[in-house]
Amino acid sequence: MDLPGPIHDFLLVFLGSGLILGGLGVVLLTNPIYSAFSLGLVLVCISLFYILSNSHFVAAAQLLIYVGAINVLILFAVMFMNGSEYYKDFNLWTIGNGLTSLVCTSILVSLITTILDTSWYGIIWTTRSNQIIEQDLISNSQQIGIHLATDFFFPFEFISIILLVALIGAIAMARQ
Amino acid sequence: MMLKHILVLSAYLFSIGIYGLITSRNMVRALMCLELILNAVNINFVTFSDFFDSRQLKGNIFSIFVIAIAAAEAAIGSAIVSSIYRNRKSTRINQSTLLNK
Repeated sequence: MDLPGPIHDFLLVFLGSGLILGGLGVVLLTNPIYSAFSLGLVLVCISLFYILSNSHFVAAAQLLIYVGAINVLILFAVMFMNGSEYYKDFNLWTIGNGLTSLVCTSILVSLITTILDTSWYGIIWTTRSNQIIEQDLISNSQQIGIHLATDFFFPFEFISIILLVALIGAIAMARQ
Repeated sequence: MMLKHILVLSAYLFSIGIYGLITSRNMVRALMCLELILNAVNINFVTFSDFFDSRQLKGNIFSIFVIAIAAAEAAIGSAIVSSIYRNRKSTRINQSTLLNK
């Protein structure tokens, strides 16, 4: 998005801190309803990230599908379970927890060193010279629509069949 | 510089999601951490599509498919969790002898 520099940076810092706190809240909060709401916060922050990255269609899809459908579904699943057994569940720090946190920290550190060691300027420079720089006559959503209808037509139809089969399966399983 | 910060954020979400998925004793919390992992991957796709592929937006389209698959998987996952809860009256993951009887 064509925002002036400091506003863009401030918004990124704001959304990034929301993401960090929300991610910690999903994993570490003991009450599952609180962690479901912090998952909602994470999903809304990610949708605002997509708006900052000029991807308006994916931002709207994220808000509608993830926050509007999947988060509500997870909240229903949380409220459907019996709540009284969770307050006995104080987060006991077992050996498995420590080992997993060690493994996850090592994954995070290796990813961060890979990200910081790659020379992104060189890659941006070589790919920018390959793209034909033309005017933005078509908006982002129209471009996605054109590509979905022509290049990615088969995955588009196939995913609608997948959604139909998944819905029928979920209803058949939850019904008895 | 902008690209690096967003990629570091998505790596952080991914590792937090993996930690939560492995160490959660509650099945619904495991579903929530799985959604965190999928969203971290989506952030990566959309950021790369914005920085490198402004003409064809292949990353954006793939992230739309990932969102659709995540919706299907969340529906099926919560149906499985609800039927397990109906049978066993509790949703702790460490009761892994569910196939025994």
